[in-house]
Amino acid sequence: MRGLRKRNPRGQARAASWMILPYALHFLVFLAYPLAFTFVLVFHRWDVFTPMEWVGLANIARLVRDEWFLRAIWNTLVFVVIHIPLQLILALFFALLLNEKIRGRTFFRATYFLPVVVSGVVVSFVWLQIYSYESGLLNQLLALLGLPKLPWLTSRALAMPSIAIMATWKNVGLYIVLFLAGLQSIPSYLYEVADLDGASGWQKFRWITFPMLNPTVVLVIVLSTIGGFSLFIEPYMMTDGGPENSTLSAVLYIYRQAFDFYRMGYAATLGFAFALMVFAVVLIQRRVSEGEAA
Amino acid sequence: MDRAKEKHRKPLRLATSVLFAGVAIFAGGCGGRDTSGTQHPRLVYWPAANPREVELARKLVAEWNRLHPDVPVDMQPVPESQSTEEVLLTAIAGRTTPDVCSNIWPGAVAQFARAKGLVPLESFADFDSLVRARLPHGLIESYRQVDGHVYEIPWKINPVLLEYNVTMFREAGYERPPATYQEFLEAGKRITKDRDGDGVIDQWLMLVDFRVKWWLRFFDFYAFYLAASRGGLLVEDRQVLFENRAAVEVFRFFQQGFALGVFPRSTFQVDAFLLGKVASHTTGPWNIEHVERYKPPGFEYDYAPIPVPDSSCLPPVTYGDPKNIAIFTTTRWPKQAWEFVKFLVSREADLLLLELCSQLPVRKDLMRDSLYAGYFMSHPKMIAFAEAAGRTQGPGSVPELKEIFDAISHEFESCCFYAHKTPEQAVHAAAERAREILR
Repeated sequence: MRGLRKRNPRGQARAASWMILPYALHFLVFLAYPLAFTFVLVFHRWDVFTPMEWVGLANIARLVRDEWFLRAIWNTLVFVVIHIPLQLILALFFALLLNEKIRGRTFFRATYFLPVVVSGVVVSFVWLQIYSYESGLLNQLLALLGLPKLPWLTSRALAMPSIAIMATWKNVGLYIVLFLAGLQSIPSYLYEVADLDGASGWQKFRWITFPMLNPTVVLVIVLSTIGGFSLFIEPYMMTDGGPENSTLSAVLYIYRQAFDFYRMGYAATLGFAFALMVFAVVLIQRRVSEGEAA
Repeated sequence: MDRAKEKHRKPLRLATSVLFAGVAIFAGGCGGRDTSGTQHPRLVYWPAANPREVELARKLVAEWNRLHPDVPVDMQPVPESQSTEEVLLTAIAGRTTPDVCSNIWPGAVAQFARAKGLVPLESFADFDSLVRARLPHGLIESYRQVDGHVYEIPWKINPVLLEYNVTMFREAGYERPPATYQEFLEAGKRITKDRDGDGVIDQWLMLVDFRVKWWLRFFDFYAFYLAASRGGLLVEDRQVLFENRAAVEVFRFFQQGFALGVFPRSTFQVDAFLLGKVASHTTGPWNIEHVERYKPPGFEYDYAPIPVPDSSCLPPVTYGDPKNIAIFTTTRWPKQAWEFVKFLVSREADLLLLELCSQLPVRKDLMRDSLYAGYFMSHPKMIAFAEAAGRTQGPGSVPELKEIFDAISHEFESCCFYAHKTPEQAVHAAAERAREILR
């Protein structure tokens, strides 16, 4: 290689240019251009069908006054706060179980992963039946126990936690796989040494497993934060943002502005504001995680 | 440049040429219109995609093609999507609209017109004579857009009425549903009960689909608002008009219904009306065939006007759920398209519409024309709808209509279902949001 570079450095550079061309084109067409176009839209009113109209900062002024968007952001934060710890704890718990040599381990691993590959629409539809007030599985179980039925999706207090539980059920398989990979990369001699020292199971988890899994924990938190902020299919399919906007997520609200009401300029403004917020949250999260690791 | 380098570059050049040629061909192919310069007119017609209307369209197109072999029409149901409006707006943006579509919801016409997707129909010489012959006096003015043009020909109408279970009302001591709010709710107290004695209510007065989907409000809030306000508009000249007593009374009526427990707090996965779980619900004439097909033995039902506030005494106006016909600006054959539209709204075509789809043509002489007498004789349930057809109103024509209904829908849910706001507060909040939308 070294000889080749010496022989024809310009030719190599040209070949490299050709090689990066596909990605460069993809980047320009599907990332850079849409991003630039979206930024232009922030200062325009546009319904797709008629020419754009320059409105200056009107979209930003509207955003500042928009109580529903603030509500949507709050709802999304509530979802993230419920969903992430729940997902982290469950994924770690099941990964620890599935890391043991138990009978039918492969079957269980596949079963836990199954919801991840099923369409979100299908999963939402199934859970809609489970949560049904009149005839849902959960309320039938409560009735069998002599307990009153619960309005899982029609109560402001319960609707978002219900969605968070469903989203956790759907996604936990993915994070179990990540934790399993993390667990299997921990050198076994650490546990052997701990055994020789007479460490208990909890002590081994506290002082070996958990610290060694720290990079995986950070990865799971970052991924599920980004996934959590993208909450869309579940409220779109199950509650349409209700009751009383209590499950209206930021992405659902942006979608409605863009594709229900054709306010592309305003939707672009909301999108930018929300993306900046998510970026800031993930940045803070990373700083905190890195600080703790150090 | 030496030969070796040239040799290596040839495949790259070839690949680049192929790539650019492919892009050029693809871009050319994306035009979607026939550029062959053919002079033979050929029209594309999109009817609604439900089986009944597709059947109607198939028959009408076959008859047209038999009579006009020089202007053949290709029928294609509106492509599947969440709504026809969504499909048409996308088609307008992509310049892939048909020549004629007969599933035009007037609430979307302002948007289509703003996008310059529709042909103004008054530009055709015999437009006025067609309107005079077919439509009730002055009706066409309600379809005139702010730019002064009319882009749709009123075709069919489905007045929303109260469908009720005769037996359940009779058992409660009523021959038909009471006409005013208080009497109606009073009847609800007698009808709502635990029929099987398990301690749980299983029969209610009226089914209200309280989900926040904006279009559901046409069948509760809007139908009741039109009845209460005698056809009052929601918005006119971009001014919000619904912050008034009628809207407050409608909100209060639904709030009381849920508070009293005479409206169920559940959306059923089954047909609650046919199963006898609810004594009434609002619907249009399309439901007659469904009820006739699936009703249990001995099931008696009928139709009544929408209840009105206690102070009201005139026959109520209701939502007409109209669907109209329009010609798109992408047509290369506007004259032929207009002739086809006239064929679609002819007397004979309207009779087929009644017979095949159980939907009412917008026709001033519908109940007097001898051509339709036989149909109404054999379908007496349709008479209530035909009589109500003259007292209907469309959704209005403002591009932001969907958003305004969405705002109303959220306040409706908050006030009527959850009782978290008074009717006055909810109507005010909806009006404020509508003003913000229209700003």
